Amino acid sequence: MSAESPYAVELKGVSFKRGERDIFKNVDIHIPRGKVTGIMGPSGCGKTTLLRLIAAELMPSQGEVRVNGLNLPSLSRGELFDMRKQMGVLFQSGALFTDLDVFENVAFPLRVHTQLPEEMIRDIVLMKLQAVGLRGAVELMPDELSGGMKRRVALARAIVLDPQILIYDEPFVGQDPIAMGVLVRLIRLLNDALGITSIVVSHDLAETASIADYLYVVGDTQVLGQGTPAELMDSDNPRIRQFMQGTPDGPVPFHFPADNYRDDLLRGR
Amino acid sequence: MSQASISELSPGLITLVGVLDYSSAPVLRKQGARLIKGGAAAACVIDCAGVVKSSSVGVSLLLAFMRDAKAAGKTLSIKGLPSDMREIANVCGLLEILPQQA
Repeated sequence: MSAESPYAVELKGVSFKRGERDIFKNVDIHIPRGKVTGIMGPSGCGKTTLLRLIAAELMPSQGEVRVNGLNLPSLSRGELFDMRKQMGVLFQSGALFTDLDVFENVAFPLRVHTQLPEEMIRDIVLMKLQAVGLRGAVELMPDELSGGMKRRVALARAIVLDPQILIYDEPFVGQDPIAMGVLVRLIRLLNDALGITSIVVSHDLAETASIADYLYVVGDTQVLGQGTPAELMDSDNPRIRQFMQGTPDGPVPFHFPADNYRDDLLRGR
Repeated sequence: MSQASISELSPGLITLVGVLDYSSAPVLRKQGARLIKGGAAAACVIDCAGVVKSSSVGVSLLLAFMRDAKAAGKTLSIKGLPSDMREIANVCGLLEILPQQA
């Protein structure tokens, strides 16, 4: 796969275990370049693990994780460091530095990764904050921001180095409807205007389906289905239908596997 | 290593060429400042038509050159802004601030 490949990220035959427990078994995922791809599935299905595999924070026990054509498990430490500069990650927590103001939070990657003079760092920080609508908050501390504002500052920081790939980890969790609408609009705008490849890892169906060009549904160690949001909504697959319609029980069980309940209770400790 | 350069083709006409990114920008910043401050022309034009690729840093360079021109009491305009720089400027609300030639 070259840089001209239609896919920015490819997982080929990827397996990953935690201890003896399989998280993924022989998974194939292709993330199209320049599009918004949603990776969805119930909580605990391994979505964040998948994100960490793509960001090279974890290595698969089997298979290839290719980013812009390069197989991450075969890269040296230095090559991985360079590769990560091409990726921005919006963490679920926002992960702002609580002791730094908004300006310094956004400036941080520029100070670590570039030799730009201070005047250009200031330009770029203000540009990114303007893009997310928070240039006026530049002197505020994180604890003076609402949850939605924190998420937008974290987004400004995630795009400050102009990444080719932007990964959003549960971007809508804990956001009020207005903040959610703002985020949906920003993700789409940044993707389309800047030609970024966006990966939205989420269990928020309506919001993710509203912006994604393509969706993967993962669960039970596999890719359960893939397609456009409309295709998945119409899926005949009962597992996909269960997730897309939000029913609590179905092929994906409500209960985590356990011993017989009666036996468990009567056995005592 | 990025391939980029800045030079004065004729009095006041400064061309920016190549890939404008985080590795090429610090040198371009210094060279551009020297050209703008040291040139004899009262009006400078930055021609970006030769820019192959640019990140936000390219737009920041233009802002820095605008500050140089202002400090030197000169006028500055920009021509040939490529589409990637234009999109970045648009998302960051700068299209009205960058003095583009019609």
